[in-house]
Amino acid sequence: MALRIWASSTANALRLSSATRLHFSPLSRCFSSGNLHSYPSNSPSLCSFLKFRRQNRNLTYALVSIAVLDGLKYANSHEWVKHEGSVATIGITDHAQDHLGEVVFVELPDIGGSVTKANGFGAVESVKATSDVNSPISGEIVEVNTNLKETPGLINSSPYEAGWMIKVKPSNPSELEALMGPKEYTKFCEEEDGAH
Amino acid sequence: MRIPRNLEVWRLGTVNYLKALKLQEKLASDRKINKIPDTLLSLQHPPTYTLGKRRTDYNLLVPESELKNMGAELHYTQRGGDITFHGPHQAILYPIISLRDIGLGARKYVENLESTMTELSSLYGVKAHGQRKCETGVWVGDRKIGAIGVRISAGITSHGLAFNIDPDLTFFKHIVPCGIADKDVTSLRTETDLVLPDDEVIQEQLVSCFARLFGYNDIIWKDKNVIEIDG
Repeated sequence: MALRIWASSTANALRLSSATRLHFSPLSRCFSSGNLHSYPSNSPSLCSFLKFRRQNRNLTYALVSIAVLDGLKYANSHEWVKHEGSVATIGITDHAQDHLGEVVFVELPDIGGSVTKANGFGAVESVKATSDVNSPISGEIVEVNTNLKETPGLINSSPYEAGWMIKVKPSNPSELEALMGPKEYTKFCEEEDGAH
Repeated sequence: MRIPRNLEVWRLGTVNYLKALKLQEKLASDRKINKIPDTLLSLQHPPTYTLGKRRTDYNLLVPESELKNMGAELHYTQRGGDITFHGPHQAILYPIISLRDIGLGARKYVENLESTMTELSSLYGVKAHGQRKCETGVWVGDRKIGAIGVRISAGITSHGLAFNIDPDLTFFKHIVPCGIADKDVTSLRTETDLVLPDDEVIQEQLVSCFARLFGYNDIIWKDKNVIEIDG
């Protein structure tokens, strides 16, 4: 209910014409019921931004909420890194999974291999498109998420938690400093989406 | 002020699959470093079966040796999608474009490829539709007229779409096309009452639909012989 009121006042603020109907995509419905992004109450705080996605040629727009988490670093190719001690976990962001569509296949590298900053380490398939996934940092792969083989959709339903892709021992921790923080990344996404 | 965007279209005629693949790889790496603008390859293939990254060769219903007897090749690729057939009188478009430059994700890009084919179909009075949940491609009723299989690497696309003008549909009997067992494959020839012009005309119309949907201001046409490009 709160989400609906929020969306309605946003629509008023944006002065949408009466010809444009707002309704909720499955993404935001799940979000409000807590199924889609089920972050526990002690998890890093969540900032998010709203975007409109045109649903079809009849100019129906859905209000979609894209989540960006505090405590993570972000690459401009839409991957995130969570650095905890000597290990960094890597996955793709909510913005990325939203733009991909339903993920049906994930290709992951082998443990023991290495990743290099800004180079591909695997791929995901959605809507008959394979998209490379790039590593935001360099290092040695110490773990891969084998659950993604059976349940590739975890990348859509839980991009920051159950949908993690690889864990890496960073070889050059200063690379993390060069990445974007959550506010910067949110702005980056808004500019990228707004420019076109 | 929005910078005008040009699309360079290479009309290649009929090209062997592997030659076209090598050409796409070269163009994609050139596009990545901005050596070339957005480029679109417009061509046809000799009889060829291809598989995607998931290597779903269980959807090939005959042994590979039999394909050779039919005069067809088989290739494994890095594109998305399942098994499919390419052959004469099927219009192929391979866009080598930067999705990052136009702010498109995979889903929206593929939707636009579907719309390219539905628009082309409507020029001949055929009501086709895409955006079928879980079944990417273009359909006339329950019959598939256009297929899509794409690769996106460093934000640059390769592979693309295949639209059935009037291919020999019996070639599709030897596979479970796109992994979908209970649906038929169709063609523009089958679906329209209108007399079709030459393939070249239809391929040009397909390119124009693509350019319009993707917002290009100008098309620069180039007729190329792939063998010349190799050397």
